[in-house]
Amino acid sequence: MPDMVPMSVAQPQERQFNPYSDNGGTILAVAGANFSVIAGDTRQSEGYSIQTRYAPKVFRLTDKAVLAVNGFAADGNMFVKKVKQRLEWYRHAHSKDMPLRAVARLIQSMLYARRFFPYYVYNILGGIEEDGSGAVYSFDPVGSYEREACRAAGAASSLVQPFLDNQIYFKNQTPAPGTSHPAHLALTDVLALVIDSFTSATERHIEVGDGLEMYVVLAKGSPLQGLELVQGVQEMSTTTDGERVFIVRRNLKRD
Amino acid sequence: MDHSPMNWGRPRNDAVDLYGTYPIPQRPYNGSKGSFSAGVQHTQQPIVTGTSVLAIKYKDGIMMAADNLASYGSLARFKDVQRLQAVGDYTVIGASGDMSDFQYIQTVLDELMVDEFTAADGHSLGPAEIHEYLSQIMYARRSKMNPLWNSLLVGGFKDGKRFLAYVDLLGTTYSASTLATGYGSYIAQPLLRKAVEGYEDVLTEEEALKIIEDSMKVLYYRDARSLNKYQVAKITAAGTSISESRSAETIWSFAEDIRGYGAQTQ
Amino acid sequence: MFLTRSEYDRGVNTFSPEGRLFQVEYAIEAIKLGSTTIGVRTPEGVVLGVEQRVQSPLLEASSIEKIMEIDRHLGCAMSGLTADARTMIDHARVTSQNHAFTYDEKIKVESVTQAVCDLALRFGESVHDEEAMMSRPFGVALLIAGYDELGPQLYHTDPSGTSVRYDAKAIGSGSEAAQSELQDKWHKQMTLQEARTLTLRVLKQVMEEKLDHHNVQLAQVTPANGFEILDEAALKSTIQLM
Repeated sequence: MPDMVPMSVAQPQERQFNPYSDNGGTILAVAGANFSVIAGDTRQSEGYSIQTRYAPKVFRLTDKAVLAVNGFAADGNMFVKKVKQRLEWYRHAHSKDMPLRAVARLIQSMLYARRFFPYYVYNILGGIEEDGSGAVYSFDPVGSYEREACRAAGAASSLVQPFLDNQIYFKNQTPAPGTSHPAHLALTDVLALVIDSFTSATERHIEVGDGLEMYVVLAKGSPLQGLELVQGVQEMSTTTDGERVFIVRRNLKRD
Repeated sequence: MDHSPMNWGRPRNDAVDLYGTYPIPQRPYNGSKGSFSAGVQHTQQPIVTGTSVLAIKYKDGIMMAADNLASYGSLARFKDVQRLQAVGDYTVIGASGDMSDFQYIQTVLDELMVDEFTAADGHSLGPAEIHEYLSQIMYARRSKMNPLWNSLLVGGFKDGKRFLAYVDLLGTTYSASTLATGYGSYIAQPLLRKAVEGYEDVLTEEEALKIIEDSMKVLYYRDARSLNKYQVAKITAAGTSISESRSAETIWSFAEDIRGYGAQTQ
Repeated sequence: MFLTRSEYDRGVNTFSPEGRLFQVEYAIEAIKLGSTTIGVRTPEGVVLGVEQRVQSPLLEASSIEKIMEIDRHLGCAMSGLTADARTMIDHARVTSQNHAFTYDEKIKVESVTQAVCDLALRFGESVHDEEAMMSRPFGVALLIAGYDELGPQLYHTDPSGTSVRYDAKAIGSGSEAAQSELQDKWHKQMTLQEARTLTLRVLKQVMEEKLDHHNVQLAQVTPANGFEILDEAALKSTIQLM
């Protein structure tokens, strides 16, 4: 711990405006072979107070890119607004939707541009690459990023990430002799893991709960892979002949 | 998660120690050493402040309330201040926090509405637009480290739709069917949620008013920076209206029986 | 009173009553004084060729630079006031690098061409009463060759800031004859080798001197190797094939 003022000694303190807050909540994303799932709870809180039970943290950027934003909500909303603006400009300048890896690099540039007054947000970008593979990119607040198969961030990341490591990367699991762990999970299995992650995080973390929004991005020409059987699924894409975006909503406990 | 043992069981926002229970641990501070060092003075703290604002959705629109007190610290300094303000034909904003900053916001919004009116382009700003505009101002000011020290509620009714949202000095925004600022977010919000969540579309004006009045009364009992003189605004399809000041029936006789509360005989 | 043409020559941004910008038109004329430059697109890549007029036996031919690299996947050949092209190519290079830095992808040929065209129209622009950054239009035309997700492409830009995509294009002094020859000989399924020989043949037809490896330069952009200027050996063998 950095040198702190001894509790017993009262002394004048410099009071400075703190431009940041922590609005809780958790986000996560998992990449499949030809799909990507990006999810977040919808509670927004400050301290012990729930500000609202419905403030989305996951946003469709294009038909192949979905961004989840967690941390300081005001920064998050502003950041998403600016990313969307840059995507629109790109569309006009280059007459195409920005590819996922370009969105990822753009987000890094935008975050690092604010290196000395950062956006206090953890970003997770999910979607489909130009080669049709499912992808997840995760970022720290100042723009370090990498492509991964899965990532959790936010208030309950320390609860969810180890679970994902175990269930998706098969960490600390030994395959039965003569068998091996699958490289990618099926979409329905991933959705089940995501729902379990959030119900568990809701149980154990006070800042997680109220509602769950899961976005599913499918590669161009991919079958629905059981998504058609998921209750309450809604399509969000602009066309059905490119990559497709769906949303699935679930209730979480409100206590 | 904050694992520091110093923070176990403590309020989570370490910028504020609401109850003054312990000295707040400080990280080494390398910024400017005083408000004059940069040559420009920024708002470091609110001076004359308004306390809670409450608002709920009901069947016909939005109902909002705030008392008439502007405090100077613990001194009840101004007792006839209006903290609810109509902006255009569809919107009412309610302000807590620094009253001079609120007056500045009123000036800015007045200018905005005049500009929009003189454009005469057939557009009229509704509550959603006014809230977005306010959010951008509040966020821009916090980003300059010179915040407008307020928590604001924006309520409105336009094109058959209710609107209710919050914005504060950090630029944080959210929307819900019940909202409360300041002390009201601890004391009144749970009461409002219990009475309103799930009933937004059935609550009548009378029922909504009862909920608001009850909550204002509880706040007056519990919030030392409140006043038993408040106004109620409603925003419906018929437009905006802000009531005359009113007060709640309260009973303080019980205080006599509580040791440490009233005059002590022994 | 009707003003004569010459009075509209003064301001670079003044339209004549017939709706013409004379300074821009004169700039386009300047290109016709330049050496012939040719670009040919094929499904395998794009070929660029220029004539290098060696005015004196004492002149070092290799020091004449009329084909330049913009990025690994982009090349450019010029005709006209070649000094002006340096500014434009500088801008194209910076635009391309910035795009790669910000988006982690190759910039499209069309986009980099557009960026150059945007610059071409900045003449006579000034803020308040400061001096304008550029006092006259560029006196150079470019052939921008490149490869991106849409395949090999060839663009032509001129001082008016107009850009057009071509399968084959000739600019400079011999451009009229060269262009009609290209129109005759170009076909869709041309190989890169055929494009190289076509470029040389057309250049040879419009050149006053006898074509050899000293007075022409060839370059190509292919998906495999990106932009490359053909070295002496490769150029010689292409001349022999022709």
